[in-house]
Amino acid sequence: MTHDDDTEGGRFRLALVLTLSLIVLVFAVAAATAIGDYRIGLRTVFLSVTNELGLTEAAIAPIEQSVVWNLRLSRALVAALAGAGLALCGAILQALLRNALAEPFVLGVSAGASTGAVCVIVLGIGAGGLSLSLGAFAGAFAAFALVALLSNGATSGPNHTILAGVAASQLFNALTSYIVTTSGNAQQARDVMFWLLGSFGGVRWPDVQLLLLVVVTGLAICIWMGRALDAFTFGDEDAAALGVPVARIRLILFAVTALLTATIVSMVGAIGFVGLVVPHAARYVVGPLHLRLLPACTVVGAVFMVIADIVSRVITAQQTVPIGVVTALVGVPFFAIILYRARPQA
Amino acid sequence: MRITTFLTCGTVALSLAGSAAFAGTSYPLTIENCGQSVTFEAAPARAVALGQNSAEIMLLLGLKDRMAASAFWPNEVLPELAEANRAVEVISVEFPTLEAVLSHQPDFVAAMLTTLLGPDSKVAKRADFADLGIPTYLSPSACATTLDAGDAYGSRGDLWSMDQLYQEIEELARIFDVTARGQEVIADFKAREAALRAQFAQDEDLTFLFWFSSPSPADDAYLGGGNGPSGYIADVLGGRNAIQTEADWPALGWEGIMAADPTVMVVAQVDRNRWDLDRAQSKIDFLTSDPTVSQMQAVQAGRIVVMSGAAMNPSIRTLYGAEEVAAQLEALDLP
Repeated sequence: MTHDDDTEGGRFRLALVLTLSLIVLVFAVAAATAIGDYRIGLRTVFLSVTNELGLTEAAIAPIEQSVVWNLRLSRALVAALAGAGLALCGAILQALLRNALAEPFVLGVSAGASTGAVCVIVLGIGAGGLSLSLGAFAGAFAAFALVALLSNGATSGPNHTILAGVAASQLFNALTSYIVTTSGNAQQARDVMFWLLGSFGGVRWPDVQLLLLVVVTGLAICIWMGRALDAFTFGDEDAAALGVPVARIRLILFAVTALLTATIVSMVGAIGFVGLVVPHAARYVVGPLHLRLLPACTVVGAVFMVIADIVSRVITAQQTVPIGVVTALVGVPFFAIILYRARPQA
Repeated sequence: MRITTFLTCGTVALSLAGSAAFAGTSYPLTIENCGQSVTFEAAPARAVALGQNSAEIMLLLGLKDRMAASAFWPNEVLPELAEANRAVEVISVEFPTLEAVLSHQPDFVAAMLTTLLGPDSKVAKRADFADLGIPTYLSPSACATTLDAGDAYGSRGDLWSMDQLYQEIEELARIFDVTARGQEVIADFKAREAALRAQFAQDEDLTFLFWFSSPSPADDAYLGGGNGPSGYIADVLGGRNAIQTEADWPALGWEGIMAADPTVMVVAQVDRNRWDLDRAQSKIDFLTSDPTVSQMQAVQAGRIVVMSGAAMNPSIRTLYGAEEVAAQLEALDLP
């Protein structure tokens, strides 16, 4: 909890958190690969994975091998990457906007994604050629562009950006409602909601590859700018006084978070609370320095999401439940604890 | 060449004679479905139906013993199919998971909506099954949406008809090698549709309002739109839909509904139990007790009829809904 500098203790704590989290992550992914509606023995699960990796050539029913490899493992990895990406975005935005409540969707990205998806489903823009994911991605980026425009590029203060995000969210939510009520029907509205609520049900290996690329690139850029992010904590003017190119760094990092969030939303829908809660949790353990906070957030976010996905599959067998429901159920009590512990000391 | 032609003609004549005018399916059977070629090596024995309409068509075709499971049931099953449906496991009344579908070891999957089976579905893509050698079939009514997204489904310039359903019944019957039974079902449906049309003469002044549901009495009501299945039901019964929107599911406030002033109020019984006004009885209670709404001519004259909400979706249930309304119309004192 101490705001220590690069002390031995701080580094040790980071190493401990990273090692423990990575071990937990491996076990969580393994558990996610073994658990499911289709009853498959542990031995078959293990052999399915080794078969696909070319290590073994065991005789396994193709349907079971496909369930393990194409459905479960790819899903677990996308969950881990999405959790990592959202947590990373949350940490970046909390630093840039100097607001403890900042999270990826504050930039109106999720509302924009809804509008994009509705345009494709209801209005038929792109008529089949444009997929839902691309529509959502375009919408998410349009929202981000609007926020950037409303907040005068990257030059204005953090509150300005949050207000612009709220305004953009309202605008895009209104657009979505307008399109659905005027030209949609009940079934389509339901389709859109189902699609947007967040689910790992539809993901496959190409999604893993794309997300891996985006998350790793994003993490690298953020860590590269980690020290500059620390300076933002003191305010834009102090950061500028320390020689940090405030406007440029803010724009680059906003773009990175928008890209990450838009990719994740267009792939698995809007999943709340991970981006809000995980950075706070990680900050309590490894402190506020971003060179430590960002790696810790990434791994803890991954673990959180894989476990949340397992819970969402176990509590309701045989049907898809919005993952956002589970992350909120776990996230809200956690958030309450943070609020309680962060109360002003009398 | 001539001999072959002669032989072919002979074979056709023989099989025509042998199966009462309908040839059995010869496998491998390849059909064009929603832009894809699907090949069947044999008649399916473990089919999974994704969606109520797909399941009910299979049950109508007498295929309960060849169904492994079904999923996605927005409404109760058709009463005359309830007995047969008990033999088929329901995976979930909501969207199922792909893994749960695969755990039934299906050799055929038929789906009613693109959200259940399609490129943007969170349940499954057709390739997921094709990779495992499992053929799939998507309802022609559903893939009209992807080909002409929005317009074919969100709103209609022309009145909906049962034709795409007949195509679906015919193709499913061919896939399962029950062509004769399929033609029976289609002939039965067409005869029933014709009987209804014969029974009710066209009446310019007869209008129907189809109330699907409302979140609360104060909210706008969800109605069956002009050219959708509701409009079709009104047309078969000699009238027209009081709501002339092109949207399939318009929402309208009570002032607008009173302005439309329908001759007959059709209140839907929606089985999902999401809102109190899903139930037909709650709708009737509201219509008869609200001081303003109860002044409508349809309510004053007691012209309120109950219909299953399933009929308002484009499905086989639409015809059953028309019959349900028809039976109650006879007892009414129409102006």
